[in-house]
Amino acid sequence: MRRHLPASELARDERFHTITMRDRMADPRAGRGRFEGDNGRRSNRLTPDLPSASEAARSMMHGIFVGEIQALEGAGRTCFDFDDIPFALKLDMARQAWDEARHVEISVKLSAWMGTEIGQFAENTVLFEAACSADPVMRLAGVNRALEGLAIDVFTTMKAFGELAGDPFLEFCEDWMLADEVTHVKMGSDWLRRLTESDPQRRAAALEFQSVVDKLFSYGGTRSDSDESMIGLARRFRELAGFTDAEISRIADVSDEALSEAKARKQAARAGAGA
Amino acid sequence: MTVAVTPEVFRFVQYDAAEIAAVVEDLLGRLGLAGTRVALDVDETTPLTRVVVHEGDPLRIEAGSGALEDTRVPRTFSATAAQVNVGRVLLRRRDRGGAAFAGAPDDAGLSLAELAAWDVTCVGRLARTGVRVHADRWRYNLRNRIGFTDATDAVFDRLWTTDDPSWSGIAAACGAVTP
Repeated sequence: MRRHLPASELARDERFHTITMRDRMADPRAGRGRFEGDNGRRSNRLTPDLPSASEAARSMMHGIFVGEIQALEGAGRTCFDFDDIPFALKLDMARQAWDEARHVEISVKLSAWMGTEIGQFAENTVLFEAACSADPVMRLAGVNRALEGLAIDVFTTMKAFGELAGDPFLEFCEDWMLADEVTHVKMGSDWLRRLTESDPQRRAAALEFQSVVDKLFSYGGTRSDSDESMIGLARRFRELAGFTDAEISRIADVSDEALSEAKARKQAARAGAGA
Repeated sequence: MTVAVTPEVFRFVQYDAAEIAAVVEDLLGRLGLAGTRVALDVDETTPLTRVVVHEGDPLRIEAGSGALEDTRVPRTFSATAAQVNVGRVLLRRRDRGGAAFAGAPDDAGLSLAELAAWDVTCVGRLARTGVRVHADRWRYNLRNRIGFTDATDAVFDRLWTTDDPSWSGIAAACGAVTP
């Protein structure tokens, strides 16, 4: 079996349409979110009182679904792609792959419950792209810490959404998946520290890579501490997952930066449209 | 052709004005509104899904490009999305012309629950004209608005299958299950 599979070769059937982050950024309408425009509302946080709440929640749930597929593929590849990593790390990646497979099943059922068909929204392959590095430490930083960290934020938002809407299945399922994600992040943090114990340069490079991925995942200001973002930063669960206060603050800064850039783009787009 | 679409050439999205006009023209026929003159103005600078109707001759419809978009392949046109999103507002407008909706508030005055319930009646009727819809999407929206209960599901089934909705029926349905 081939090692180091690129995102363009992921196996998908005809229901799926994949796009890249480059495609997403090339959308000239990108300064404005698909579900914005609920006039008079002070917060953009995904809550049921948002007029577009159901559609936004369905879209986010589908994003979770394809994210889980890619996380499964990423953990599986890390298990298989390297000969020179500790066997215990491979076991952890195998355990994560099993968790992600279960999450895929849960997400399929939740999506059906919310009236979404598989493949109804485009699949952005940016998550798997973070799992394509030739260095396993980079994968741990990009996938387990950045990607799974984002999953903590997303699941916390969706759990709260389900709770507020009175949707018993959504709240319950997100809570269970959230618990797994906290473990995955912790696993990544522990292995990253262990594998770079005597190589501070490699550790710094991995953390730098994580920061880049964190910013990519905050693209458009989607996730930040601010109520202007649809997804909040789940500080408490991130602490439980092993992020230090300084690390959480750094992610918050990167997210704020992405939000500011998104607002600037939006302003420029409006000025351009008015010109 | 009674439907005029602007802009004539799209730059932000890969839409074709003639294709959109043909889909809306066909939709008017399905809804018994053939011959109605429509000016559809698509705001291609935004992916928002909002659609607003302004009375007049021609009937002016403003739509964000997201209302006509194929969510599977961003920036491309979806006839189904156009049928569902434009069809809903056309049916709501048609309903308002009848005595059964005499007491209905204007669109801005509708609660999210009332709008969700009205949408159910509209999309149910669109489905019966042959438009491809996914009923569970609208069931989920109604549940979000008036509760995840068996009573909501019973309301959904009633609203979905009716060909003669009324404002009192919609308002009562919402009131009956709103906690």
